[in-house]
Amino acid sequence: MVGEPMSIELDRIHFSYGQVKALNGVSLRIHGGAIGLLGPNGAGKSTLLKIMLGFLAPDQGSGKVLGYDIKSEQKLIRQAVGYMPEDECYIPGLDAVSFTAYLGELSGMPRQEAMKRAHEVLFYVGLGEARYRLVDTYSSGMRQRLKLAQALVHDPKLLFLDEPTSNLDPSGRQEILELIGEIASVRGISVLLSSHILSDIEAICDQVVILNRGEVAASGSLADLKMVNYRLYELKVKGELDGFRRELEAKACRLEETEDKIIKIFTPPDFDSMEIFRAAARHKLQVRQFVPSQTSLEELFARVVGVD
Amino acid sequence: MTAVIEARNLSRWYGNVLGISEVTLDIEPGITALLGPNGAGKSTFMKIVTGQLKPNIGQVRIFGQKVWNNREIFWRLGFCPEVDSFYEGLNGLEFLTGLLGLYGFSAPEIQSRAWRALELVELKEVARRPIKSYSRGMRQRIKIAQALAHDPEVLVLDEPLSGLDPLSKRRIIKLIKELRNAGKTIVVSSHVLPEVEAMTSEIVLIHQGKILARGDLHFIRELLDQHPHMIRIKSPHYRELARQLATEDYILNITFEPENSAVTFETHQRDRFFDRLNQLVLESDCRIEEITSPDDNLQAVFDYLVGK
Amino acid sequence: MTTIREKGYHHWDGQFKENFRPSWPIMRAGIKLAFQRKKFKPLFAASFIPAFAYAAGIYISERLEDFKSMGSGLEKFLQINPAFFKSYLTLDFTYFMILLLMSVGGAGLIADDFRHKAIQLYFARPLEKKDYLLGKAGVVAFFVGCLTLLPALILFILKLLFSGSFRLLVEYPWLILSIILFSALVMLFFTAFVLLCSSLTNNRNQAIALMFSLYFLSSILSGVLFLIFRSPYALLLSLKVNLDQVAAGFFLVKPSHDLPWYLSFLVLLAFAAFSYFLVRKKVRSVEVIK
Repeated sequence: MVGEPMSIELDRIHFSYGQVKALNGVSLRIHGGAIGLLGPNGAGKSTLLKIMLGFLAPDQGSGKVLGYDIKSEQKLIRQAVGYMPEDECYIPGLDAVSFTAYLGELSGMPRQEAMKRAHEVLFYVGLGEARYRLVDTYSSGMRQRLKLAQALVHDPKLLFLDEPTSNLDPSGRQEILELIGEIASVRGISVLLSSHILSDIEAICDQVVILNRGEVAASGSLADLKMVNYRLYELKVKGELDGFRRELEAKACRLEETEDKIIKIFTPPDFDSMEIFRAAARHKLQVRQFVPSQTSLEELFARVVGVD
Repeated sequence: MTAVIEARNLSRWYGNVLGISEVTLDIEPGITALLGPNGAGKSTFMKIVTGQLKPNIGQVRIFGQKVWNNREIFWRLGFCPEVDSFYEGLNGLEFLTGLLGLYGFSAPEIQSRAWRALELVELKEVARRPIKSYSRGMRQRIKIAQALAHDPEVLVLDEPLSGLDPLSKRRIIKLIKELRNAGKTIVVSSHVLPEVEAMTSEIVLIHQGKILARGDLHFIRELLDQHPHMIRIKSPHYRELARQLATEDYILNITFEPENSAVTFETHQRDRFFDRLNQLVLESDCRIEEITSPDDNLQAVFDYLVGK
Repeated sequence: MTTIREKGYHHWDGQFKENFRPSWPIMRAGIKLAFQRKKFKPLFAASFIPAFAYAAGIYISERLEDFKSMGSGLEKFLQINPAFFKSYLTLDFTYFMILLLMSVGGAGLIADDFRHKAIQLYFARPLEKKDYLLGKAGVVAFFVGCLTLLPALILFILKLLFSGSFRLLVEYPWLILSIILFSALVMLFFTAFVLLCSSLTNNRNQAIALMFSLYFLSSILSGVLFLIFRSPYALLLSLKVNLDQVAAGFFLVKPSHDLPWYLSFLVLLAFAAFSYFLVRKKVRSVEVIK
């Protein structure tokens, strides 16, 4: 990663809409990867995005996105960024290829290149068969893919996705998430995902930025932020609990059963987790799920945004 | 427990287009999730249950009374639709008091119920602001408030979490669970399956106009034994575990994840698998860090039943 | 040497254009979409009827002897002079056809982008508002130009060809300039007019209604005010009258109304400026990211 430009570098960004302060000194340094952007409504997310994508210049502060200055090289940023908006958007009367190629041209691609690339990208998102059909006839899942295609046609280095699974049914969500997951692992493309659906963020992103009241409340890799607690384990079991419970309690563990039929085991420090398995095996209890407890993204969010 | 909602042989079509066909269903108190792909018949079913649509064949009863054309039942029924349509000029309070007025409550009761509903969805501060100034999340919450305001015993909520940020979702899920604890019957429909799972494991899956599955999610999963179960084990000795288990006849498939030191087994016979695993724990030195069942979740069950 | 193209995502190894003018693709797309609509092609073809009629007139004017049988009034009628061209360029029929054509192919230029939220897709690209507006304007200008500038120039050339001499050019050396300038004014006017109506709503049908009502109401209103106040200045309200007056001015012909033509010219320019500022404002007020 050394020598590769930072995807996003922001230094003490301030922005106000009239009297209302939207961003209050936001600083970020993000290398590539898949980044989740979270925050309560009104936290300043959309303002931050507008600044990052070159639509708005900050009142104070500076920054670079993909190496381009956010104040003076906004068009270059937009050429290197692909945006998949949340709303359904399309141009009626065009077929998918024409639509995608048109938008590619508007990004500065030569006409023939845009055309070639449109075909390629439509196949990639799974619309190959339907690419000559009018976009008016597309189902909502197909339109979602089309939005993704137009965001990719000019081969952006940063792909920004705004609630990409909204309004899709469970199969559609699954398919788009798989596609996005694939794209996130392509070298040379970073993905910035803004979503209220935490399970989507957990599925795709390796880093998160949590915004609250115009400031960065937390940022970093998901793995680091979601601290693993090696003294609390969550199990699902099948069989008789008593003998198992007694044995572990004798070893200074504490057991709790939750309403979802999950057994929580609190262990003393320096406890070997394999003891749990051995105790289970000895008492003929099947351990069907075993996970060291981790703060869920939801808990992290709640803690960081500071409510409840 | 007698069922609160009893649907018998419901069929409804729109000209040639099938809405639902021969749907017979009992819904008891608690939270039941209604799921299905787009166009499966969910909204038709919900409209029939809430008395907005008359079935072509069959009937539905709530608390033993028929729903269609029965004004009495609407006192005990609350519906939160997916679509957004309000009298934009009203403020939140006016909207609720207006609706409550239709139920024939006395004036002081209307006020207290309206405020109570506003408090439950945390919109008290903005109660006097016009709805057209509300953010998407607030609009969603006022919709929920109107479904609750008259304290109905049955609630039908269509995509109640859409547009909400993660914290609001958490609060609304908590609210729904509290309502369940108070003995109410709640039918929830959502496309975001991980969020549904956080609320309940009672599901009704509608597909192509018919009921595809009904019952506890995990029980359904167990019944789907044509579809082998996946068990993922994370261990520094994952290959040794695989070696030991590979010879067993109930292991159908083994998939390695070298980058995660994990191995996923597919089996038809979980009992035998876990018993053998217990043996291995006692016999060998294999450490186990994590055991999960990747497909024991709603998305996997959904995908399998709806047939990707 | 065997190569295998791998599955999955491939990067694009092409280059972006050096001198990138986003207005052109926008203009091309608008024109293509207009032609795709049903009824557009027949309407477009029909709009050329006057051009053919005038062309026939030019032909006849050169062969007056052959057509003497049709009556002697023809000679007076078919003087090919600036007035002839002025009359072609201010035909009610042509303007009405322009309105019809723009209803089918132009009303949605901005309105549809609002309605289907395509604005977000445009402005996420490296283009500025002026590029977007210029491209859209180009669509209107193109069609109007096809019905004004193009036929007028062809008629001019036809006259030269049929008469076999440069007499027309010698007699009225400024005529070509008048044709070009006036056509440009008409193009400018209708561009401002159509884009204004299209940007005021997100429903193309409303835009169409707006176009027709604005155009005809202006005439009606000015007529009513004229009756009430008996002042020729009331006529400045009528868009058609203004165009007519300016045409008279450009073609050095006596204006039909008792008003200096440059007033009409100023009114039209003011209208164009007003429309420009309003359209800019409407397009700005659309948020790309909420």
